[in-house]
Amino acid sequence: MLEATGLVKRYGQVTALDGFTLSVAPGEITGLVGHNGAGKTTFTRIVAGLAAADAGHVTIAGLAPRRAARLIGVAPQEISLYPAVTVRESLRLFGGLHGLRRKPLAAAIAEVTDALCLGGFLDQRIASLSGGQQRRAQAAVALLHRPPLLLLDEPTAGVDPDTRRALLAALRQRAADGAAIVYTTHYLPELADLQATLALARGGKVIARGTAQQLLSGLPGQVTVDLGDEVLTVPATDTAAALAQLLATISKPLRGVSVTEPSLDDLYQAVTSAA
Amino acid sequence: MLHDGSILSTTALRVAALTRHNLLLRRRDPANLITYMIMPMILIWLTKPLLTRLMPDGGTAQNVIGSLVFSSTLSLQIAGMSLLSERTWRTWDMLRATPATPTELLIGKAVPVLAMLLLQQAVVIGYGAGAAGLSIAGPFLLLLALLVWSVTLLVAGSLLATLVRSHSQLAVLTDIGAIVVATLGGALLPLTMMPAIARHLAPASPGYWAIAMLKAAVRGDAAGTLGPAAILAAIAMVAGTTACLRLRRGLAQLRS
Repeated sequence: MLEATGLVKRYGQVTALDGFTLSVAPGEITGLVGHNGAGKTTFTRIVAGLAAADAGHVTIAGLAPRRAARLIGVAPQEISLYPAVTVRESLRLFGGLHGLRRKPLAAAIAEVTDALCLGGFLDQRIASLSGGQQRRAQAAVALLHRPPLLLLDEPTAGVDPDTRRALLAALRQRAADGAAIVYTTHYLPELADLQATLALARGGKVIARGTAQQLLSGLPGQVTVDLGDEVLTVPATDTAAALAQLLATISKPLRGVSVTEPSLDDLYQAVTSAA
Repeated sequence: MLHDGSILSTTALRVAALTRHNLLLRRRDPANLITYMIMPMILIWLTKPLLTRLMPDGGTAQNVIGSLVFSSTLSLQIAGMSLLSERTWRTWDMLRATPATPTELLIGKAVPVLAMLLLQQAVVIGYGAGAAGLSIAGPFLLLLALLVWSVTLLVAGSLLATLVRSHSQLAVLTDIGAIVVATLGGALLPLTMMPAIARHLAPASPGYWAIAMLKAAVRGDAAGTLGPAAILAAIAMVAGTTACLRLRRGLAQLRS
């Protein structure tokens, strides 16, 4: 669905993207992870047709970004809705611009209203909503026309747990229906919830790509043995073997044993803090 | 996906959706429009006795047209805000990320603003005719003149919106600019009552040509209307081209 190869984008002396390559298949949710300034937002803007790459190539279902606008749903990092209009009016505007009208538009509004629990504030103005409600409204605009590619930039920033659950459930459903989703976040447990593949960005390029399991397999876990008067901690890629080896060398009675597998946070730390 | 319709009807529907939406935005924030409708009515009422005494023809055309040009120049801010707000709300990118083309987006923005400018001026002319005794010999010429002036204001306001970074900057530019353009053009006082240097500088002000055009249209003088109208159209072309150049980067990105 999405194929981006060797994207380069410079703003004056600053290189925002430096050979950014990423492909996302239909039905795949890709978690795009990296520090601020890693190039995530610039990449999203180029794919959405809002900025042009200086070099490289990007296609959506074989089309250039501007020709594929109909195929893309975008939820930017910042709230980008008209404060003076209601959620319903916002959905009507953006639905209309995506070619929806009358019954299909009403059906699409009903669908996102139900999926994201917007019913309670559908006729309230955006300016009167809480930050979390505004996020939901913005996500609804992105989902409204059932695009085969969703670009969501930190869609759950500042939202409550219920909103988060509703949004993640809606995204899992869209992915199950075949949508490709690029999901930018700093909140890694969400990516586990979404069973997303990961793309770790640093310095304007993707430096690691794969499933969480694949990427975590290269990271050490930790075996901890509590002997009462001392605690032994050993990092190990194969924690089971390390534990067996450790136990074979200990003659004292054990007070406790724990094995910690590497987490997505460890992966993020390892990758993004590397030189 | 839920799409239908031919390319032409899709374009028309998108423009209609944008126009409807922008009219809604204008309706939700009518303060400027109301201000620029009421202000000239008060001006016309207050200055009528003075101009009647000072001008041999009674000064009705000067009074109504001058007040109209003064207030409509101030309403440049409406045109500027229409574009600038899209940037400050970050909604411009949301619009650009849809299948709507740049032309559709700009038409959808321009039509409601143009309608507002025309409405404001029509209300002032109507008040001038009803309450101040303005006689209109060339209604169609006047309609043309109001359209030309409104387009000039729309384009100039759009250009200003591409030059400023905030609403307060826009307000400063439009307020000071409007006072200079309108006063120098002879909107508040007839040029004959202004200092010689102001009379020499007056043709540099679009307000001067607007007043000349509108007064001629009210008299039913076609030649006197079309000459200044052509000059205003040229000013609008220059301002429009400059605005487009300022927007070129964004438009180029749209085509990528």
